Amino acid sequence: MSENKKFRSKSGKERFTRILIYIFLSVLCIIWLIPFIYLVFQAFRGESRSMVTYIIPKEWSFDNFIFLSTKTDFWHWYLNTLIIALFNAVLQSVIVLCVAYALSRMRFKGRKFLMNLMLVLGMFPGFLSMIATYFILKLFGLTSENSVPGLILIYAASSGMGYYIAKGFFDTIPKSLDEAARIDGASRARVFFRIIMPMAKPIIIYTIMMAFIAPWGDFMYASLITFGHEEAYNVAVGLYKWLDKEHISNYFTIFCAGGLLVSVPITALFMALQKYYVEGVTGGAVKG
Amino acid sequence: MAEVKLKNVKKQYENGFVAVHDFNLEIKDKEFIVLVGPSGCGKSTTLRMIAGLEDISGGEISIGENVVNDMEPKDRDIAMVFQNYALYPHMSVYENIAFGLRLRRLPNDEIHKKVCEAAEILGITELLGRKPKQLSGGQRQRVAIGRAIVRVPKVFLMDEPLSNLDAKLRNQMRAEIILLRKKIQTTFVYVTHDQTEAMTLGDRIVIMKDGFVMQVGTPQELFNHPANLFVAGFIGTPQMNFFDAKLTKEGNGYIAEVCGAKIEVPDYICEKLDARSSVPEKVILGARPENLLIRPKGSQNTIKARMKVTEMMGSEMHIHADYGGDKDVILRVQTADMDEEAQVELMARSEFEFGIRQRTINLFDPEDGRNLAVENAVAVPKKAENAPVAEDIGKKKKDKKTKK
Ligand SMILES: Nc1ncnc2c1ncn2[C@@H]1O[C@H](COP(=O)(O)OP(=O)(O)O)[C@@H](O)[C@H]1O
Ligand SMILES: [Mg+2]
Repeated sequence: MSENKKFRSKSGKERFTRILIYIFLSVLCIIWLIPFIYLVFQAFRGESRSMVTYIIPKEWSFDNFIFLSTKTDFWHWYLNTLIIALFNAVLQSVIVLCVAYALSRMRFKGRKFLMNLMLVLGMFPGFLSMIATYFILKLFGLTSENSVPGLILIYAASSGMGYYIAKGFFDTIPKSLDEAARIDGASRARVFFRIIMPMAKPIIIYTIMMAFIAPWGDFMYASLITFGHEEAYNVAVGLYKWLDKEHISNYFTIFCAGGLLVSVPITALFMALQKYYVEGVTGGAVKG
Repeated sequence: MAEVKLKNVKKQYENGFVAVHDFNLEIKDKEFIVLVGPSGCGKSTTLRMIAGLEDISGGEISIGENVVNDMEPKDRDIAMVFQNYALYPHMSVYENIAFGLRLRRLPNDEIHKKVCEAAEILGITELLGRKPKQLSGGQRQRVAIGRAIVRVPKVFLMDEPLSNLDAKLRNQMRAEIILLRKKIQTTFVYVTHDQTEAMTLGDRIVIMKDGFVMQVGTPQELFNHPANLFVAGFIGTPQMNFFDAKLTKEGNGYIAEVCGAKIEVPDYICEKLDARSSVPEKVILGARPENLLIRPKGSQNTIKARMKVTEMMGSEMHIHADYGGDKDVILRVQTADMDEEAQVELMARSEFEFGIRQRTINLFDPEDGRNLAVENAVAVPKKAENAPVAEDIGKKKKDKKTKK
């Protein structure tokens, strides 16, 4: 309300700056959209498969998708990634939410230390431990053709460190709700599932989406763990092969078509879950 | 429906701050106990230890037959109403009340019956379908109470349940809690910082200060025979007046002299004084504002005072005055005792004389603040110089952080 008033009472100059801001944002928006539109156009281009200097295709066709489906391992990679992503969405979400809840609500020895440790460890880039991870996985036979479970394990294992945002959210849910539920007869686990979870929908959705999206874009680990076994690739590694010197002239539009397909499940998930991003779920819980 | 016993209960928080020292109390079955004291005195901490929400650093708490020191809250068979209501925002009022029963796996028809009964008692039947955010403050408070009474717990704990309500609603809810208490026969422990709530609700009141229990007693005991200066000052508005008095033995009894006015000490106090090994000469005499009586000019044994401010409250008048130089005193005069002319005349006066209603006085030891006539009275805790207080600990921590 107060903000509205501020805008209404100030005229002229204030309005001018607002117009400037909108223009700026619109321009940014267009700039962000260009690569995506470019990708879509290239994916449907029929006249050649190489890179070209114009954007709008001369001939529209589905040839690239047909080629992708019949002459390459793309759907293999796609399936690999989808499996990894689904598993990761479940495992990582469960782990992240549990860790975040525990760190938000429970007080135990070493809690502070643990949080700081995870924060510091998170500052090192993940690939520093890549070689060690590779050898460990190899020991269990989870590399090369068995990379899918191996990658699931890697992603899930490191996921607890991403507790920070979820913990911040849990911290905003009043503790007295937990306490009321515990007095009502709930165990810690039940408090978590029956009271906290229903209130934490936005953060659950966020966590699931992050967990689902990450595997689609992972290149480093996937390329190392699969170690050249093409049928075990994920989409990022598989598609990237087509961008090197010898392939690019024959595969560029195929690459774009693949990229477009990758965006489908992520977008679909986002659309499906978007409506749960509602605010005000905690309204009326406690007197503020 | 159970006794609750607290034996030498102590609470020390992780930062080293001792919030409750050596708390002893035996709560009888179906008794309504009120914990009262200024903010930060450890009332909530004590309540939360009974509930099992805080660990106990020392001592023993038992509910009924069981020592509950290490028992989970859910196994203690208690219910609690929180200051901020703590309703589950995603559940309807019905589900909020039913939650505890569902966890106990009661059959649905029984749950329904009990929820409806509880709603009936609290007059919230028509709200059962709503979500907490669609309720007013008073309604939320009722739902919170409903959630607690539906289970018929052994002990009913309430932490300042009315302090978020406006004054009118608070009075109304207070009356309802008294009625509620008649309907559901169980043990109550009620925390408040409001002495009116304490006096009107409690069978017995526990007054706390800085983590120490100052006095336990019925409202009457606390009001008429406060165990020490702190209790005397805390209970009753306006505050009790304290006079420096000289105590002398005269015949069988004692005389307390305040600014030349001689006041005969009541017999029951004299008995207690005689039983003591030593009687201090200097004492503090406490008299409530309603026990200071305006006397006609030239009466014997009165104290002269200068009028400062008069507050007309309607049925009574508060007179702020000073006596013996610059010592403040407050008198409370019932306006019904005077006709209107007399009231106007009194308010216009610049000086008057008052006496003290002898029967009602209390004598306190100026050294430790204890009432000379109350056995086992607790001394008013002095702020020990090196004992850490909560704020200091917080500060020290911050200092450390900034140094890093
Ligand atoms: N978790 C805590 N850690 C340290 N000190 C605390 C904690 N909770 C409360 N205290 C301190 O304990 C004292 C008593 O608190 P509390 O029982 O909440 O008082 P009140 O009588 O107002 O309910 C206060 O001085 C408070 O600062
Ligand atoms: Mg409190």
